[in-house]
Amino acid sequence: MAALPKRIIKETERLAKEPVPGINAVPHEDNLRYFDVSIHGPQTSPYEGGIFKLELFLPDDYPMTPPKIRFLTKIYHPNIDKLGRICLDVLKSNWSPALQIRTILLSIQALLGAPNPDDPLAPDVAKRWKEDQEGAIATAKEWTRTHAMT
Amino acid sequence: MGAKVPRNFRLLEELEKGEKGLGAEACSYGLTEGDDLLMSNWNGTILGPPHSVHENRIYSLTMHCGAEYPDKPPTIKFQNQINLPCVNPKNGVVDPSKLPCLSDWKYSNTMETILIELRRYMAHPNHKKLPQPAEGSTY
Repeated sequence: MAALPKRIIKETERLAKEPVPGINAVPHEDNLRYFDVSIHGPQTSPYEGGIFKLELFLPDDYPMTPPKIRFLTKIYHPNIDKLGRICLDVLKSNWSPALQIRTILLSIQALLGAPNPDDPLAPDVAKRWKEDQEGAIATAKEWTRTHAMT
Repeated sequence: MGAKVPRNFRLLEELEKGEKGLGAEACSYGLTEGDDLLMSNWNGTILGPPHSVHENRIYSLTMHCGAEYPDKPPTIKFQNQINLPCVNPKNGVVDPSKLPCLSDWKYSNTMETILIELRRYMAHPNHKKLPQPAEGSTY
C-alpha cells in the first residue's frame, strides 16, 4: 500500500492528542484510512445519552474528495437512512479540502441536534417529523435507548 | 495500488451502482433487506442469454457476502432450477471451483462480475443447449 499522506497522519495525531468532546475516532491498525468512530448524542436532543458508532473511510483522493462515512448504530433521524448513510451538504457538494475529519464529525454531531426534515434522506421519517414531531421525537428517543445505550 | 476500500464502503458502492442501474442490462442485484446494516444478503437476477435454451428465462439468485468480502468471494445460489455443470443440481449452489471468477477471485471482482460471468457461462457453446428443468421451478 502507498505511504499514508502527511495530511492524514497529522489529522490522526491531532484527533488522538486533542480529542473533540463527545467524539472519538481511531484508525484500524491494518488500514489507517479506515476509522472506527463514536459520537455521543447531543444534550437536549432525542439522542442524548446514546453513543452512536460510525465508520469513516478516507478515499485515495482525500482531501480532494470528502471522507465516506456512515452510521453503524440504528438511528431514527430524517437525514440518515436505513443503511446509516448521511445526507449532509459538507459531505457532498459543500465539501472543501479545508475541512477535516474533526469538522465533519462535529457537523454530524450538530445534525443530530438539529434534524432537517426539509432535506430528507429517509422520506418516511421526515414525513412523520413534520406531521407528528412529538411522536417522531419519542420514536427517536426509544431507538436511542434500544440501539445506542448497550 | 491505492487505498484499500473497506468491505462496507465497497458494498455501498456496489449497492449504489445496482440501484442506479449503471451496470449491465441483463443482470441486476440489490440488498435482500433494505435495512440490513451488515449488507450480507443480496438478490441477483440474470436474464437468460439469447440464442440459448435460457432465452427469455429470468433466473433469481441469492448472494451472501461474508465478513471477509471482498477478500473472499460471496457464496452464490440459484433460486430457479437450472442445469449447468457449475451448479449443484440438488440445491442450486454455484461450485466456486468451476467458475473462474470465483476460483481465481480478485479483490476487484464484484457481484456484477459474477452475474455477468454466469450469464456468459450459460451461453457457452457447451452449455447453451443443455436440457433444462421446467421454467419457474425452484430449489
